[in-house]
Amino acid sequence: MTELVLSDLSRRYGSALAIDGINLTVQEGEFLTLLGPSGCGKSTTLASIAGLDKPTGGRITFGSCVLADAATGTYLPPEARGFGVVFQSYALWPHLSVEDNVGMALRLRKVPAAERARRVSEALELVELGPFAKRYPGELSGGQQQRVALARAIVFRPPLLLLDEPLSNLDAQLRQQARVWLKDIQRELGLTTIYVTHDQDEALAMSDRIVVMRGGKVVQLGTPQEIWSAPCHPFAASFIGSANLLQVSGAAVPQAGPCEVTLSDGQVIRAHTPDARLAAGAQLLAVRPHLVSCEPRENASELRVEFGAESYLGDHFVQEAHVAGTAIRLSVERPQPRGAGRIWIRQQDAVVFAADQ
Amino acid sequence: MAHLSLTGSDPASSAAPRYDRARLAQWLIFAITAALMLAPALPILLQVFVDRPLYSDGWQFTLDNIGQLVRDERIGRIALTTGLFALFSVVIAEVLGIAAALLIGRTDMPGRKIMGDVLMWPLYLSHLIFALGWVVMYGPSGFITQSIAQQVGGGMPWNLYSIAGMSIVAGVSQAPLAYLYCLYGAVRSVDSTLESAARTVGAGPLQVLRKVTLPLMIPSIITSTALNLVIAVETLSIPLFLARPARIDTLSTFLYGEGIAASNPNHGLVAASSLLLMALVGSTLIVQRLLLRQGHRYETVKGKGTRPMTLNLGRLRWPLAAVFAVLLLATVVVPVAGIILRAFTSFLSPLVPVTQVLTLSNFAKLFADEANVRAIWNTVEISLLSASLGTLMAVAVALVIQRSDFRWSGTLEALAYSPRIVPGMITGLGVFYAAVILPPMGWLRGNIGIIVVAYVMATLPLALGVIQPAIVQIGRDLDKAARTVGADWVGAMRIVLLPLLKPALLGSFILLFVFHLKSYIIAIFLMAPGLEVMGVSMLSLWTNGDVGPLAAFASFQIVLIAVLLILARVLFKVKIYD
Repeated sequence: MTELVLSDLSRRYGSALAIDGINLTVQEGEFLTLLGPSGCGKSTTLASIAGLDKPTGGRITFGSCVLADAATGTYLPPEARGFGVVFQSYALWPHLSVEDNVGMALRLRKVPAAERARRVSEALELVELGPFAKRYPGELSGGQQQRVALARAIVFRPPLLLLDEPLSNLDAQLRQQARVWLKDIQRELGLTTIYVTHDQDEALAMSDRIVVMRGGKVVQLGTPQEIWSAPCHPFAASFIGSANLLQVSGAAVPQAGPCEVTLSDGQVIRAHTPDARLAAGAQLLAVRPHLVSCEPRENASELRVEFGAESYLGDHFVQEAHVAGTAIRLSVERPQPRGAGRIWIRQQDAVVFAADQ
Repeated sequence: MAHLSLTGSDPASSAAPRYDRARLAQWLIFAITAALMLAPALPILLQVFVDRPLYSDGWQFTLDNIGQLVRDERIGRIALTTGLFALFSVVIAEVLGIAAALLIGRTDMPGRKIMGDVLMWPLYLSHLIFALGWVVMYGPSGFITQSIAQQVGGGMPWNLYSIAGMSIVAGVSQAPLAYLYCLYGAVRSVDSTLESAARTVGAGPLQVLRKVTLPLMIPSIITSTALNLVIAVETLSIPLFLARPARIDTLSTFLYGEGIAASNPNHGLVAASSLLLMALVGSTLIVQRLLLRQGHRYETVKGKGTRPMTLNLGRLRWPLAAVFAVLLLATVVVPVAGIILRAFTSFLSPLVPVTQVLTLSNFAKLFADEANVRAIWNTVEISLLSASLGTLMAVAVALVIQRSDFRWSGTLEALAYSPRIVPGMITGLGVFYAAVILPPMGWLRGNIGIIVVAYVMATLPLALGVIQPAIVQIGRDLDKAARTVGADWVGAMRIVLLPLLKPALLGSFILLFVFHLKSYIIAIFLMAPGLEVMGVSMLSLWTNGDVGPLAAFASFQIVLIAVLLILARVLFKVKIYD
């Protein structure tokens, strides 16, 4: 098994830490996504793996090969690592035709011309761009350019494929198609893939596992289902599923399980916590907008709120509501009349975290 | 499955190279640059503290040269003259340049395009040619001076051979530089929404120019002022032609007189005054840097492609155009026409009708001297070589500076730009010393190699100025992508950067070629029989009083440069200074 292992990886720019002690193991054949807002260190992490950025601390190994080790000063340049990279900007060479772009890796590896031509056309067939071999990048649409970039990154059979927000420059509809198509190719080739994105839908749809990152640190690592249904950190909850976060207070809870918290205006909510040891005092309550109900439900706490402005999003409304001085968002089928009203939150939908995270 | 061969890994890419090719290349570029930049500078420093010429035996260390310079009673006056001349010429150049940039770049003044082109002429010609043109037309016995003296009667209407005269000639010939910096640095690139914003808060168009556009031009004005100051301090031919006859000396003519014209050159004094000159130039550039430290306050958003609004001049349209046209006619067109007229006449005076003195004898005399013919071939050969080598070196240096993780790239950049503080004449002097005392450079003596080395060194910043902005335009992902598919640094530069830089390389080549073609100042100290170049031969024609053949030579050079620039524009679509 060729595993990619990041141990205590960090990257410092001056006094700022772009990545801060990341530990991660990527299994062979896995599709792993680094997910987080801009500036969370996901692209720096990817660049460190590719060899485009030199980490200032920790080490990266691939199988038995040490790619970078800050302690010993080991640092393999990208050309010695041989990973396929798809850039956000695609980075196609504008002065070379599509087939020359794709064939460059083979040319540099001194693959004989006949075999090179065969493999280039295979790669172009795979991305459905066979007829475009003689075109130049400037003559292609954004979606086609993105596929050339993919063909260029896989034509030399890299052991690892690194994708840096490859779909972010496509329009919404194309992005949907490209998502399915990209995942199909990855599965078919069995390529170990690391994918960087800030788009939670993309991450949920494609990944075997997701790494949620913030401030250069790993916040949560798990399958899409785990990340979605059992966030273990308020940031994971708010970034994926855009949960509302409320300042609450509560008693200490010795193990994961049910608990009760109090809002600043004294209203009490029955909730649960994933934390193994929740300290007493200030805590954070996370509730997803679509899990808030405007009608009484079983095992749900009732809350008095002040309904506010709504916006129409086609299949539903998002309405603002104020509870205990904080604005929260609700996803509702029909907007509630503005002014005082009530909402219900089920115990399994109210998640409590420690406040200092 | 068709793409089965895409699965399974390639065997690990070829075993690691025995040596790091990229590091080797980067160190090589660093070493060559350092050698080229330091070899001429160090001997000058040495000469300052040595009691006799470096090439003679048994020299000893001394501080006497500096003492001599300080005690020399001429120095105070020379420094004052140089300062006044530099100040006046820079003021004239900046006022003309800024006005031209605003009028030509921003208004609906009729004929602005052609006037912009004419304004550029002095930049394409050397100071030597330009000064000659002024002497022929506006000198004490110049055609126009005499015509007016005749009409009005009495004495001369003006005296070109004065500090004021020199300043006007230098000011006009440096106006294009100020114009270009202001035009491209600010007038053209200012985001017009900044100006529209000012309009929306109630400013009129003229107020916008004054309150928004002009302040945004400040960095361009500072930069071009610094460059023009440096050029004014180091220019030789303008003071030599216009001030020497009136026994006025500037630092450069003093250097020339002591180092070249004197029968027994005082090398120690020359080196000491070179140092003084370099200190002057260096401090100017430091001041410029300090002034521009707050540059972000003047940042203009670039690359938006918005068309700057044109200011409607209204009733002032035609009067302004007329004033500007007359100014250009008198200061640029007339001197150039004067040279050509003088080249085809045996004698130029308002008292004799031109038709009676038409002749080709100036050209005959010029080409009869085989040293002059040799000078032309030498110049072409040297310019071709220096422009090619200079461009090659500049792109190599620029790629290491901008596109590598080379540890010393900051030092490399400082080294590469160091010729900016070394006036051209002194570059030549330094290369001369280096060839004398440094054994490895000895083989350069007596062949054109020595001039090529001096030219490449002196114009490296110029070439970098063309190539570096072009590199900035190329996304970094492009060479990173090349690295990820298996190219090392050298390969990535060769596969991706070099092909994409072709237009910039061509532009740099043509700029350097024209620059070397017209250059005279760098080679002064490197002249030897058989090593003549056009500019220096022209300088000696002037010293010998052969104005006719000199005008013929100058006309020849004007035509040569014009043809070259037109060819470059038509064939390669390259416009230098664009």
